[in-house]
Amino acid sequence: MFHINVSLLSKTKALEANIDQFHDKLIDISLSFSKAIKTYLKEGRSHDFEKYSKQVKNIEHEADTLRRDIEKRLYSYNLLPDLRADVLKLVENLDKVINKFEEVTYMFFAQKPDIPDEYRGYFKELGKLSAGCAESMCKASRAYFRDLTTMRDYAQKVYFLEHESDTCSRNLTEEIFASPRSLAEKMQLRQFIDGIADIADEAEDFIDQLLIFAIKRDI
Amino acid sequence: MDLLFLFFISSGLFLGWSLGASDASNIFGTAIATRMIRFNTAALIASIFLIIGAVHAGAGGAETLGQLGSINTLPGAFMSALAAAIAICWSVKVSMPVSTSQAVVGAIIGWNFYAGKPTDYSVLTKIVGTWIFCPILAGIASIILYRIIQYCCKKSNTHLIRRDQYTRIGLVIAGAFGAYALGANNIANVMGVFVPSSPLKELLLPFGIVLNKAQVLFLLGAIAISIGIFTYSQRVIKTIGNGIMKMSPLMAFVVVISQALVLFLFSSQALFNFLSSHNLPTIPLVPVSSTQAVVGAVIGIGIAKGGNDINWNILGKIVLSWIIAPLLSALICYISLFFLQNVFNLVVYK
Repeated sequence: MFHINVSLLSKTKALEANIDQFHDKLIDISLSFSKAIKTYLKEGRSHDFEKYSKQVKNIEHEADTLRRDIEKRLYSYNLLPDLRADVLKLVENLDKVINKFEEVTYMFFAQKPDIPDEYRGYFKELGKLSAGCAESMCKASRAYFRDLTTMRDYAQKVYFLEHESDTCSRNLTEEIFASPRSLAEKMQLRQFIDGIADIADEAEDFIDQLLIFAIKRDI
Repeated sequence: MDLLFLFFISSGLFLGWSLGASDASNIFGTAIATRMIRFNTAALIASIFLIIGAVHAGAGGAETLGQLGSINTLPGAFMSALAAAIAICWSVKVSMPVSTSQAVVGAIIGWNFYAGKPTDYSVLTKIVGTWIFCPILAGIASIILYRIIQYCCKKSNTHLIRRDQYTRIGLVIAGAFGAYALGANNIANVMGVFVPSSPLKELLLPFGIVLNKAQVLFLLGAIAISIGIFTYSQRVIKTIGNGIMKMSPLMAFVVVISQALVLFLFSSQALFNFLSSHNLPTIPLVPVSSTQAVVGAVIGIGIAKGGNDINWNILGKIVLSWIIAPLLSALICYISLFFLQNVFNLVVYK
């Protein structure tokens, strides 16, 4: 009996560590993404941008491995039987945000868009807001496992940042479509705006779900 | 004589089996339904601690039942236990939580009426009083425990997964305590009526443990309850897990602990002696219903959570079944004793 409990506790600790590491990956990818965008807007597809882009890709790959490990542990050790489905859904949705970061970074890498000088400030701001949104989402998700009050504080921050990101992306889109550029150019720039703003939207969807799960998790 | 005795106590063993099949769900039902503990693990823990509780601390409740009516022939005891078991079967059929204690008390009163023996109304009042007091006490215990655990969870900020693991360990300990308390308190329902007429002798166990004749009887009854747990309780657990209000593992823990505490209070000789030696009001040693305690504890949590989740219609039906079950049991016992005496020519009372 003692052996069973000790072994169960060690499995619990390992899973706790995996979940924490998964959240760390989200913070890492958000920081690398911010740097990649800033570097691209400053230098284009430079060596430094390629370095950050590779970093983003590696983090996404590591996060995938961690996600699979978490899923395996939750099921094979019968941990959290009543909340397992919720935790798995949370991890999958966090992974969606991670994938979105990777997808947008790759879009910059592959398409090498030409961002006009007058919009660079907007793009920088939009990138910062979306990354900030994802970071707050990550903190809210981490707090879900320990402290629901803190979780609600971060959830509120996500809603605020997402609204800001929406406003920024709308203003930018309107300005681009009011300019005398070719339609192809406008469409490409809008694709990038939508890609970056989608990160904040995914974070908002995640928080909506997290708040429902928090009601179930409360004893 | 031994074979005849075995035949007569078969109704008690049947009653024990049905108690194991239905009441084990009160101890581990929610833990199994929430998949926190496997059925086999739960059944093993419940059986071991139930046997220990029954043999070690089952005497108090049996004594009170004896005061209510001392059934002094084996055929009489056989029919009382059978009447109680039939009343329980009826309760199960109409899907109402079964109270073994009430069915047994009803059967004893049925025997008293048939045999023309006086029913000690002060003891009856004491027992019926516990039927009201027991769910209320369990409800209060669950409200207090729920609040304490809620506060501790908020303050400690323990990781969800670790908390889950602690809950799992807590459920095992609470279940073991619940099983001990159930054995100590409810064995009197199963075997209490046979104590006055039992021909069994003392039993010497390894390590110099001696069981007196009542304890041997309790051991037999506890084994019957354990068989009931292993063979049939899984079905009831499944029904309970899907039927009663949705509970989290921590709520399940609160319910089991509250129920076990109440059962323990009503069967602890040590507590009784302590209170009486200090001139404090004592808690009577009476077999109370674990089902009543569980219902009280669940309502307590419902109230603590704001009262919106409580289904008052079902609660009304449950309370009604608590009135009908003992009356039905008394009636069945009375009629069956008549048949036993006049058709089979058996002595049902002296």
